[in-house]
Amino acid sequence: MAERVFITGMGMITAIGDNVAGNLHNLRLLRTGLGYTRHLDTIYKETLPVAEVVHTTEQLHELAGVAGMEGYTRTTLLGLVAMREALQQAGISDVQDEPTGFINASTVGGMCDTENVYFDIINPEKSGDFLKFIDTLDCADCTQRIADTVGLNEHIATISTACSSSANALMFGARLIRAGVLRRVICGGTEALTRFTLNGFNSLKNIDKRPCMPFDQDRNGLNLGEGAAYLVLESETLVQERQSAVLAELRGYANSNEAFHPTAPSPEGDGAYAAMKNALDMGGLTPADVQYVNVHGTATLTNDVAEGMALQRLFGQQTPKFSSTKPFTGHTLAAAGAIEAIYSVLAIQHQLVFPNLHFKDKMEELYIVPETRLLEGYPVQNVISNSFGFGGNNASLLISKYEG
Amino acid sequence: MKGKCYIQGMAAISPQHTFEGDSSAQPMVAGSSNMLSCVEPDYRTFIPANSLRRMSRMLKIGLTTALKCMQDSGIAVPGAIVTGTGKGSLQDTERFIKEIRDYEERALNPTPFIQSTYNAVNGLIALQQKCTQYNNTFVHRGFSFENALLDSMLLLHEGAENVLAGAFEEITGEHFYIKSRIGQWKSETVPNNALHEHFSPGTISGEGAAFFLLDAKPSDKSYAAIAGMKTLYKPSPEKPGTALQQFLQQHGLSMPDVDLVLTGSNADSNYDFYYDVLDGMLQLPFKHLCGEYDTASAFALWLGAKMVKEQQVPAQWFPMLQQQPAQLKNVLIYNHFFGEQHTFMLLQSI
Repeated sequence: MAERVFITGMGMITAIGDNVAGNLHNLRLLRTGLGYTRHLDTIYKETLPVAEVVHTTEQLHELAGVAGMEGYTRTTLLGLVAMREALQQAGISDVQDEPTGFINASTVGGMCDTENVYFDIINPEKSGDFLKFIDTLDCADCTQRIADTVGLNEHIATISTACSSSANALMFGARLIRAGVLRRVICGGTEALTRFTLNGFNSLKNIDKRPCMPFDQDRNGLNLGEGAAYLVLESETLVQERQSAVLAELRGYANSNEAFHPTAPSPEGDGAYAAMKNALDMGGLTPADVQYVNVHGTATLTNDVAEGMALQRLFGQQTPKFSSTKPFTGHTLAAAGAIEAIYSVLAIQHQLVFPNLHFKDKMEELYIVPETRLLEGYPVQNVISNSFGFGGNNASLLISKYEG
Repeated sequence: MKGKCYIQGMAAISPQHTFEGDSSAQPMVAGSSNMLSCVEPDYRTFIPANSLRRMSRMLKIGLTTALKCMQDSGIAVPGAIVTGTGKGSLQDTERFIKEIRDYEERALNPTPFIQSTYNAVNGLIALQQKCTQYNNTFVHRGFSFENALLDSMLLLHEGAENVLAGAFEEITGEHFYIKSRIGQWKSETVPNNALHEHFSPGTISGEGAAFFLLDAKPSDKSYAAIAGMKTLYKPSPEKPGTALQQFLQQHGLSMPDVDLVLTGSNADSNYDFYYDVLDGMLQLPFKHLCGEYDTASAFALWLGAKMVKEQQVPAQWFPMLQQQPAQLKNVLIYNHFFGEQHTFMLLQSI
């Protein structure tokens, strides 16, 4: 009998808050994190909205508890802030008191800092301080910096499956626990805004010049965001041993690939359907058991059609409340899955459904519409959280209320 | 992870002639610089010409190796696709960074951006093989392939069949230069066939792709069993010794039971001391064949599995071999990546 997997700690930082409580506060106030960048050097400074964490990189050093230390990229610092909160909330003062895995997710690693010094790095005539960023080019750098700072050394990994990266990190961690390899794994992802990704999505004509409008007929793309989120996963045995406070159960999950197109989903949402369906099957639940779906809802033309079709195929006329929280946080790529997993836990803990901001008109391809109001006191027991990415990588998580 | 898995098919593109024909009959390829590059096959037999034109080098190498591995196993559609890569398509990343600057962020071609995403190769394999199952990509230096292998073992343990696991890496002139600035490569030029005679700081760079079709059950086709794997992150100098003893013990073995160790020893005087724990065991280094890169352990696994299957060490690739081992029942791989990520893998004959 495989062990059940529980969420016992959460930490996060996004454009709408430096911690979980701050995020919840601004979700309830319907306060979007979208605006214009203050930190990114780009010609799109005043034309493409982004959801940027307000702090400068120096301030993030302070927040992360590494003031004055060198070689920390913005990606690492965001991650470290979230990691420290997750550990604190889980009541872990010494990460080595139990063999603990760390499964991180990143799409472009320390690109936020390396892209500013890259041409110096490749120029033999230049030398100086920037050389300390050479090793931050890859995705492992942020993982190792975070791990080394808090003392995680048992099993570390970094996953990169584009926008589903941290959902896959949570899944991999849960599977390590269920297989009995580890009893505690911290999973999530971190992502800083970069010129690289902004121009990447813009070159794909996937970025809206207005605040994004998920599931709206008039939507025209996503807005990028930055942030980080980690969840502490523990086996049932460890929860009993440590008397850990359980926040929710990670009851099901699924990963599927569409094998359809390098960057676009199938119009019928085959991959999204398979991921949600398989996650439900794994958790032994039926569509009727789900009260809320935190959709991927990037507001790109193709995602919302595909995901909406998949919702209709799975739930039909009884589609539960669903909303995209991307108008709050922007699309935080590798961090999105973990950020939205935390929002899903918050929905269960506080019996809430978050509104899908900026929605006006129903999409002509769909008969369903997202929830546009903040629902307090809504009975949320089971939530599906979706993350879909490039390369056809789809992931769904099923998060459930803990009932002993 | 408990339980063995079996290599039912495999393929490698590397700086040696590993892809086509009888690789054992091929002489060692010796380069003349500190940057070893792959011997690339004719991709047209694997990838349609119109797709090929759009694909960058890393995608061609990765996809072709995966397809050859599938062909070798006789399986058309894998049950899952899991890969590891430290750096993905460097050429595409470099190109997109430059185009952002050169075109001042305007009218950019998205292709290098798309292909620079680390899961691009996985997506292509899934697309080409119509595999809609589990798909994951690990990007963690010397633990990239290791986590892909661990994930594959978990999948088999969970009941999946025919998992395609692999790794791919490329080196570019630009990236070679970048890493030279932090002393990863030797300052003197060392041809790969003389690598082990030049013990000094740094090593030589390399690249390659290797894919494996893994299953929980053996068959007549099996190359070898992967009996276990253990990773160590930034261990103290004493740790690998005790961890090795434990690892072998868990598999009912002690050091004399190991017929051969393939070591990642790369003549880098900064980190070579870790391999001292293998003293007394029959060892062969492999990085004169493939160079150093994040996922070189996948090449070692390919090499080890080939030896176990053939019960022979390809002598032309190992001039340091004094005599063939009496048997190749238990083959250990010990590799580390610049002293940070350490891996033991145990291969066994069927």
